[in-house]
Amino acid sequence: MTALYRMFLAAQVTRGRMSGLGALGLLAVLLGVALGAGDGADPVGDGISLVNTFGLSLFVPVTTLVFASAVLGEPNEDGTLAYLWLRPVARWRLVAAALAAALTVSLPTVVVPMAVAAAATGAGGALVAATAASCTLATVAYAGIFLWLGLRVRRALVWGLAYILVWEGFVATSGGTASLLAVRSHTRSLLARLAGGPEQLVEVSAATAVALPIAAAVVAFALTVRRLTRQDVA
Amino acid sequence: MIEVTQVSKWFGDVVAVSDVSFGVGPGVTALLGPNGAGKSTLLRLLCGLTRPSQGSVRVLGDDPRRHPELFRRIGLVPQQEALFEGMTARTFVSLAAELHAVTAPGAAAEAALATVDLDPGDTRTVASYSKGMRQRVKVAQALVHDPEVLILDEPLDGLDPRQRLGLITLFRRLGDEGRTVLVSSHVLDEVERFGSRVLVLAQGRLAAEGDFHAIRQLMDNRPHRLRLRTDAPHALGAALLGTGTVVGLAVSGTDQLVVDTLDVAGFRLAVAPAARQAGARLLELVPLDDDLESVFRYLVGPGGSR
Repeated sequence: MTALYRMFLAAQVTRGRMSGLGALGLLAVLLGVALGAGDGADPVGDGISLVNTFGLSLFVPVTTLVFASAVLGEPNEDGTLAYLWLRPVARWRLVAAALAAALTVSLPTVVVPMAVAAAATGAGGALVAATAASCTLATVAYAGIFLWLGLRVRRALVWGLAYILVWEGFVATSGGTASLLAVRSHTRSLLARLAGGPEQLVEVSAATAVALPIAAAVVAFALTVRRLTRQDVA
Repeated sequence: MIEVTQVSKWFGDVVAVSDVSFGVGPGVTALLGPNGAGKSTLLRLLCGLTRPSQGSVRVLGDDPRRHPELFRRIGLVPQQEALFEGMTARTFVSLAAELHAVTAPGAAAEAALATVDLDPGDTRTVASYSKGMRQRVKVAQALVHDPEVLILDEPLDGLDPRQRLGLITLFRRLGDEGRTVLVSSHVLDEVERFGSRVLVLAQGRLAAEGDFHAIRQLMDNRPHRLRLRTDAPHALGAALLGTGTVVGLAVSGTDQLVVDTLDVAGFRLAVAPAARQAGARLLELVPLDDDLESVFRYLVGPGGSR
């Protein structure tokens, strides 16, 4: 599995991806610095708002989409998946290696700049910890979902963006029971709880806010293994 | 080693493989057929890359789609050209060896690359390789774990004559060692050099199977159609009918004759004397159906598989 992991990881880290997403991370830090330089009356609330609006709504899901959907999606589309599929390797190990590679590259790309941005707001250590925890949780959930999406559909980036905008954006902000089914609702809830801000969107316990996104990742992982086992390979 | 029983595969309304049954044992077997005959689909079915719509495939007694462990004993050279472009040949083949749990994967990769006449120390990525080099990398990754069954989809495509000879010799050696080697090709003369058993696939159906030489004779003995251009088509036609080598004849336009013959060699010997006898100038003689497509059309034409 180590060989697979190394291979997937090397394929993920391209100059184009890293520079594009690195620029987004830099933008997050600059926004944090700008917020910290202002004289807002509620630095914690402003910080939570920044992490919510820029991090959990845009930067985290888009970055994870770019990496996770490509890990299996690109070899599936260009035909090189056959060179991995034709090996005596359990399908779950293939998927686990792909997920580990997606997480290895996605987590530092999003969590570090978001945590730095949170620190730059001057809202205190609680916000930094909450940002790190909620971004990590979101990345894990989205990595599972987008790994499956990359294998399931062609042009996964387009479908993934539609999911982020329509499902995570619209459903998560609609309130009510439907918002329980969006990753963003739970990660926002966790962020607010840990940072000491007001609850947003859904009223769930911290344990539920952590458990449901992880459950989504586990289900997506199982679906990816099933898909890889049953689909035709080019 | 390989058992295919009443296998069909369709994609929507398109039937790629239709009710095909055959068995393949140790030695080299060639899968011959024109482009679009269903060869690649059949080879993908054998490796489990796609599942049959009907029928069953067994390789070494098991269904490869259900038992990934079987891939320890199978090697495939797929048709698609894509490789992991950012890797060197050694890294690519070494990865294959690692995934097969080969002891000392680096050394195994170097040996496999040397077998196909590639430099294991080459530091260039495969993205910069020529088509022939890429083909040989694909063969190396299929050989690196020393499989019992080797399935090769058009492995000689893009190779120069010397490289072709090298790989043909390699495949024959592997067959002689008792491995099951199934090689697909759409080039009749290429298959002849394998000196092997042949499966002929046309339009998704198994058109013929058996010893290459018997099938070659069957192909050579089919009716042939030729076109002649002459300044006196009617006179030449009459003279050719008198030679007894022509079974059908039609005048086309003012200067062309289309003839059917069962004996091409005899016809070629008879045509010049016939032209002289008829006082006709023979301007051109062109075979109309010597391409492989025509041969396969004949094999699966009226009368069914031969």
